[in-house]
Amino acid sequence: MSEIVDCSQWGAAAQPPDMRCEVLVIGSGCGGATAARVLAQAGRRVIVLEEGGDFVGPGRLTQRDLAMYDQVYADRGGRTTACRSISVLSGRVLGGGGVINACDVVPIADETWATWRKYFGIDAFSASDIAAATQRALTDLSANPIAEEQVNKNNQILRRGSQALGWRGELMRHNRVDCKGLGSCLIGCPVGAKRNPRMVSIPLALQAGAQILTRARAEQIRDVRGRQKTVTVRCLDAKGYREGATFRVIADVVILAAGPVGTTTILKTSGLGSAALGRFVSLQPQIPITAVMPEVVNAFDGIPQAYAVTEFERHDDQRGLTGFRIEPIFGTPGVIGSLVSEPGAAGKALMAQLPHFAAALLLLPDEPLAQIRRNWRQQLRIEYQFTEDYRSRARQAIQAAARVYLQAGAQVVAVPTCPALTIRSERDLAQIDKISLDPATLPLISAHQQGGARMGPDAETSVCDLDGRVRGGRDIFVMDTSVFPTTSSSHTMAPVITMAHLLAGRLAAHWPQTAS
Amino acid sequence: MASKYLSRRAFVRLGLGAGVLGASAGLGLWWLRGTAPEVQGLGVLSAAQYRTLAALSQVHLPPCPSIAISGVDLDLARLFDTYLFDQPPADQSEAQLALQLVEYGPLLFDHRLVTFSNLSADQQLAHWTGWSRSSNATRREIYWSFARFFGLAFYDQERVWPAIGYPGPSLARLQK
Repeated sequence: MSEIVDCSQWGAAAQPPDMRCEVLVIGSGCGGATAARVLAQAGRRVIVLEEGGDFVGPGRLTQRDLAMYDQVYADRGGRTTACRSISVLSGRVLGGGGVINACDVVPIADETWATWRKYFGIDAFSASDIAAATQRALTDLSANPIAEEQVNKNNQILRRGSQALGWRGELMRHNRVDCKGLGSCLIGCPVGAKRNPRMVSIPLALQAGAQILTRARAEQIRDVRGRQKTVTVRCLDAKGYREGATFRVIADVVILAAGPVGTTTILKTSGLGSAALGRFVSLQPQIPITAVMPEVVNAFDGIPQAYAVTEFERHDDQRGLTGFRIEPIFGTPGVIGSLVSEPGAAGKALMAQLPHFAAALLLLPDEPLAQIRRNWRQQLRIEYQFTEDYRSRARQAIQAAARVYLQAGAQVVAVPTCPALTIRSERDLAQIDKISLDPATLPLISAHQQGGARMGPDAETSVCDLDGRVRGGRDIFVMDTSVFPTTSSSHTMAPVITMAHLLAGRLAAHWPQTAS
Repeated sequence: MASKYLSRRAFVRLGLGAGVLGASAGLGLWWLRGTAPEVQGLGVLSAAQYRTLAALSQVHLPPCPSIAISGVDLDLARLFDTYLFDQPPADQSEAQLALQLVEYGPLLFDHRLVTFSNLSADQQLAHWTGWSRSSNATRREIYWSFARFFGLAFYDQERVWPAIGYPGPSLARLQK
């Protein structure tokens, strides 16, 4: 069994040794951990680089907002689109987004695969390949339905209201086993109930001999057309704030799995990728909505997302997943407080009613029109344009959620616009049509970034071929959500594990002749 | 016929004039802002920027009947300075610029000869609320950047929890 090496042990003065491997995986989230484990189990010498630290157990996953956002989220939780409208959240921790997500297991629908096949030329996977990879993903996740007794009051309220309106919904599947209902899923589970990559694929990869390096940031791939690629790696300090020594990893095959922002950045720095690199990005901006209920809800306890209203989810033959779904959500008080729009006593008066809050996220699949770029100062810029279609669906979604909560008996439904929109009866619903959704008028959240290095047969509109291999490089692959041509699902954990099984399985079975 | 080019003398005069104007404007702004009391132990922010941010935290999270503790009670401005200290230099500069804009906001956007720190509490609230509803996207962006930080940092503090009915991290409760 191999080990996890913390690269923060090397300060700026010390010089870590260079390393060699057959496969270097950049990123340890759902895509990277799965690929690393599949290839290590196939007998390849694998190294995994992770920019974040290793956070397991109550001593490290403390259920405190400031400390956890600082340590387990990319850019300390402060990453936003250029217009500051959307918080772009992704994991920076061993195990990646799986450590900090709400555990929902929603695989890629058959209709989405059909759209990808028909309009995006993704015809390299047979139905049986897809079914087998999906099954492997579900097994990795120990996917299981959320039991009735695990449905907390926040979820019961949404279900009650939507069922009274006769709307379709379902109890979701999740990847928790022996869940204690701690409710802090979005900042990590201190009791390790999530069957995420940190708990499943990483231990299996280690067992198969993979070496994992934490606090190690891949900066650039050199010799991109050579048989052996040299990747420059920067050690970070113990908190991941400051850069230390650099070292090199020499690899035959490089797999990028650092999420759309990380993967795009490394490919750009390495001079790789077509004009499509950083384009066709979907952020799935989610809208938070709160209701104040007459009864005590204590939504901070229990599983945050258990029931989904799926009545309005649609599939468009050409665009794929569209419409919207409504899912309850909650977290620790800091994250809830960060979404309050009103300054002064009004905002505090709302927060004082925290135990009576019911809250939901409105999940809207969007068209892949965002772009990841760097400005003249080489700073990251995520540019997003709200389409009229998105705005229209957003207003419909807010209306629908408000109706559900009113139906469930809410005293007030609060939409965090400025000024805050408060809905007390059906008569107030018309106000929702006036919400502009102009930049920075509502705190939106992106937890499911996809695209940026999309796969496809056409070099003009895609970055990777149908094996996930980056065009213009030799044996450099992408195996994360960056490859998806449109939004894959309302929740990306199962889709990306499925895709990583497909691509890494294929790589293991057809190891490049030119590689070692 | 007059030359279409500036003479050397006119160029020097113009330069001196612009310089005097610039210096006067700078002095005027400095005078308007006034001197902020010295603050020990700051990593990034100047005393004046700290004063602006402290005022902002107080107006965003004032003492009120529902939650008596305020942004200043928890020294959110220092917490932000600590956070900023570990951010890249470009982010530090951006935050400092944003604070300058807030400080001179009443002058720039309301055309009043006063700066944010020198407004009364009610005026500060009205002015800051104006940022949240502004038609200017930059002002809204700055509003949300600080509002998000204040919300996260304030409600994460144990001292605030009794007032909002949060019983604290669930694992500790489970283990009791």
